[in-house]
Amino acid sequence: MKWTRTGGGFDEVFGAAGAPRDHYAPLLSVLEGFTREDVERRERLQKLALASQGITFTVYGEKDGLERIFPFDFVPRIIPPAEWKRIQDGLVQRITTLNLFLADLYHEQKCLKDGVLPAELVLSRREYKRELLGVMPPRKIFTHVVGTDIIRDDRGQYLVLEDNCRCPSGVSYVLENRTLLNRVFPEFFSAYPVRPIKDYPTLLLDTLLFAARRPGPSPTVVVLSPGVHNSAYFEHSFLAREMGVPLVEGRDLLVEGNRVLMRRTHGKQPVDVIYRRIDDDFLDPLTFRRDSLLGVPGLVNAYREGNVALANAPGAGVADDKSVYAYMPRLIKYYLDEEPLLPQVPTYLGRNREDLAYIAANLERLVVKTTGDAGGYGMLMGPFASAGERAAYLERVKQNPGNYIAQPLVELSTHPTHVDGTFEPRRIDLRPFILYGDRIRVLPGGLTRVALRPGSYVVNSSQGGGSKDTWVLAARDA
Amino acid sequence: MILSRVADSLYWMGRYLERAENVTRLLLVTEELTTEVAGLDESLARAEWDELGAVLPGPSLPADASRSAHALAVAMTHALSIDPAHPGSLLFCLKRARDNARGVREALTIEVFVTLNDTFHELERRTRREMADPTLLRSALTDAHRGLLSTVGAIAHTLTRDAGWRFLRLGETLERVYRTAVILRVKLPALLAPEPKTDLALVYTRWRSLLRCLSSLENYRKTFGAHLEPADMLRFLLFDRHTPRSLRYGVGGVKDYLERIAPAGEASLPDRIVGKLHAELVYQGAEIVERGEVLSFLDHVLGELGRAHDALSASYFGA
Repeated sequence: MKWTRTGGGFDEVFGAAGAPRDHYAPLLSVLEGFTREDVERRERLQKLALASQGITFTVYGEKDGLERIFPFDFVPRIIPPAEWKRIQDGLVQRITTLNLFLADLYHEQKCLKDGVLPAELVLSRREYKRELLGVMPPRKIFTHVVGTDIIRDDRGQYLVLEDNCRCPSGVSYVLENRTLLNRVFPEFFSAYPVRPIKDYPTLLLDTLLFAARRPGPSPTVVVLSPGVHNSAYFEHSFLAREMGVPLVEGRDLLVEGNRVLMRRTHGKQPVDVIYRRIDDDFLDPLTFRRDSLLGVPGLVNAYREGNVALANAPGAGVADDKSVYAYMPRLIKYYLDEEPLLPQVPTYLGRNREDLAYIAANLERLVVKTTGDAGGYGMLMGPFASAGERAAYLERVKQNPGNYIAQPLVELSTHPTHVDGTFEPRRIDLRPFILYGDRIRVLPGGLTRVALRPGSYVVNSSQGGGSKDTWVLAARDA
Repeated sequence: MILSRVADSLYWMGRYLERAENVTRLLLVTEELTTEVAGLDESLARAEWDELGAVLPGPSLPADASRSAHALAVAMTHALSIDPAHPGSLLFCLKRARDNARGVREALTIEVFVTLNDTFHELERRTRREMADPTLLRSALTDAHRGLLSTVGAIAHTLTRDAGWRFLRLGETLERVYRTAVILRVKLPALLAPEPKTDLALVYTRWRSLLRCLSSLENYRKTFGAHLEPADMLRFLLFDRHTPRSLRYGVGGVKDYLERIAPAGEASLPDRIVGKLHAELVYQGAEIVERGEVLSFLDHVLGELGRAHDALSASYFGA
C-alpha cells in the first residue's frame, strides 16, 4: 500500500527526511503486512459496526441528515509519554486558571479591578451571566468537564487553540474509537503500551458526586439532554448508560420549593447533581431565554439556593470566550504566578483599534472567527477566500468589531489517513478531556479529529471531519 | 422506579415491536392464502384483504386498486409493509419501536438496541430497491420477522427484570391480546355465519388461516389434534390456559405485569379493570360460547382493554 509522505506542515508519522518517527515504526511494519483487500474488508466491517450500534451524530439544517455516522480513520494517532506530560501539565495549569478566573469574576472581580483584562470586554459577553454574580458553586468548582482543543504548528509545537468550558462533546467517540479499532485491527495493539481510557465514565461519575451539595453516600446524579434531536444525543445517552444514571430531558424535571425533582412512575424523586448538556441560555426559561422549551423553570433558583449542583456551573462559558482566550497568558501569570506551559495562537481582537487595523490590512493571511460561535460556523479562512468574500466579511466585522477575533493561519500537523487504498496526509487536531473533581485529571488520550477533505483545515464533524483513535503511551522504565 | 417518560417509551416500544411482528405475520399469511384461492374464488381473496384492512389501520388505496383481487393484493401488501407514511405498515411500526428505543437507550442493553436497529435498517434499505417481484417482498418480510424475533430474544436474554422491563413487557402483552381480540372480532362473523356453506374445503381453509394469523395452528393441533372443530377452535383461541395467543393467557399476562408494577398493597384502577376481565375469561368461558355471545363478548374485551390502556397511561406516564 502506498504512503504519501509530505503534507506541507509537520507530519506526525514521517520526519523531515521522510523516515518514520521512532514511535510509529512498529505500527508501520504491522500495516505493511496488510493487502489493500484486507484493509478494505476491515473498513467495511467497521462501518457496519458503527451503523448497527447507532453511533451517530446529527448535522443541523440537513433534511436527510438526522443521523450520520462520524467517520472513523483506523490509523491511530500516537503520542509519546514525554510529549503527553507537557500537554497534561499545561492543561492542568490552564484549567486551574480558568476556574480561579471564574470564581473571581463572579465574586470580587479583582482581575478586572487590577486591569488584567478590560472589564467591559468580559462583562459585555453574552456568556457572562450577571444573574449569578455572588453565587459560589459547591467546592468552588465551575468547570467540572473541559475539552481543550490543541493543534501543532509547522515545527511540531503543541499550541492551545481554544478551551471549551460549557458542554464539550466528543468523549464518547474517544471511547468508542478505541473499541472499534480493537475490533477491526487487533494486530496494532501488541507492539505498544497504550494507556487505558475506559474508566472515563467512572471518573466522570466521581467528579459529579464530588460536586454534590448534600454530603452523603449516594447523591442522585442525572444527565440532562435536550433530547434525541440534539447533535450529541448519542453521547448523552452513552454517558448516562456508562455511568448507570438516568438520562433526563427538561420535561422530566420540575422544581418545587426550590428543589429539583424528577417525574417517576410512582412519584417524584429529588435530584442532587445535574450533568447538563444544555447551554446556559436554554437551562431555565425563568432566568435566561424565556422561549426555551428544553429547560426547567426554576432550575437556576434551585441552584442559587444551593439545592442542586450543575456541571458545568452556569456562567462558566464566559471563560472560553475567544477574546478572553487572548488574555489567558496574563491570567495564568496573575493567578498562579507562572509562565504558560503550553503556548497558544497569537490573537488579534476586533475591539482593539490597532488590532482591527491589522486585521483589515492582513485579512488574506488571517483566520477570523466570531467570539460566540463554535463548531466552525461563521468563520472566514482569509487565505482561501476570494477578494469579494473577504471584503464582504470585513464589512460585517466593522459593524460589530467586538464580536470578532483573528489569528494567523496555523499550518496544522498532518497524519496519514486511509483514502481508497493509499495513506494520505490529512490535517488533525486534538481535544483532550479534563475532569475537575477532588483533583484535576486529564484523560490520557482525547479526540483526534481529522479533516477528511484533501487540503482542508476544518476538522469539525459538522463540516465533514472524521476522527482517529488516540494513543498515549505509558512511560516504560528504562 | 423509573422516569415516567422512560416508562412511556418502553411501553410503546413493546407495543410497536409486537405490532410489527403481527403485521408481518398477518401479511405473510394473507398473501399466501389469497394467492392460492385467487383463481378459485376471487371474492374470498378480496374479503381476506378487506378484513386485513379492518384488523390493521386500513390504508386508503388508489381507486384502481380494487380492480382485481391481484391488484388489491399488490396495493395492500405494499401499503402495509413498506409504506413509511401509513401508520399500519411494518416499516412504520418498526421505526416507531426503534425511535422509542433510541430515546431510552440507557434503559436497554446494547444487544437489544443493535438487533432492533439492524432489523429496521435492513428493511429500510430494501424498501429503497425495486420490490415489484413478490418473492423479494416476501423475503424482506420473512427477514424482518426473524429480526423481530431476535429482538424479542435479546430482550428475554439480556434485560434486567426491573421496572423498565415490566413496562416493555406490559406494552408487548397488551398489544398482543388486543390484536388477537381485533382479529377474532373481524374474522369470526364470516366464519360463524349460519348460511349454507357451499365449499366446505374453503371454509376450513379460512379457519386454518385464522389460526395461522394468530400463530396458533401448531399449538391447536397439539391440544385438539388435526380436526378443525369450530367450537374447539373458539375455546382454544379465547380461553386456553397455556397458548400465548389466547385471550385468557394474554389478559392474564397484562394482569401479572400490572400487579408487579403497582405500588405495594394497592389495587389501582388499571389493575381492577384487567382483574375483572381476567375473572370473566377464567370462569365464564363455557357459558359465553354456549349462549352464542362470542362477538358481543369480544366487543366487551376490546372496550375494557382500551380502558385499561387509558388508566395505566394516566397512572404512570403522567402528562
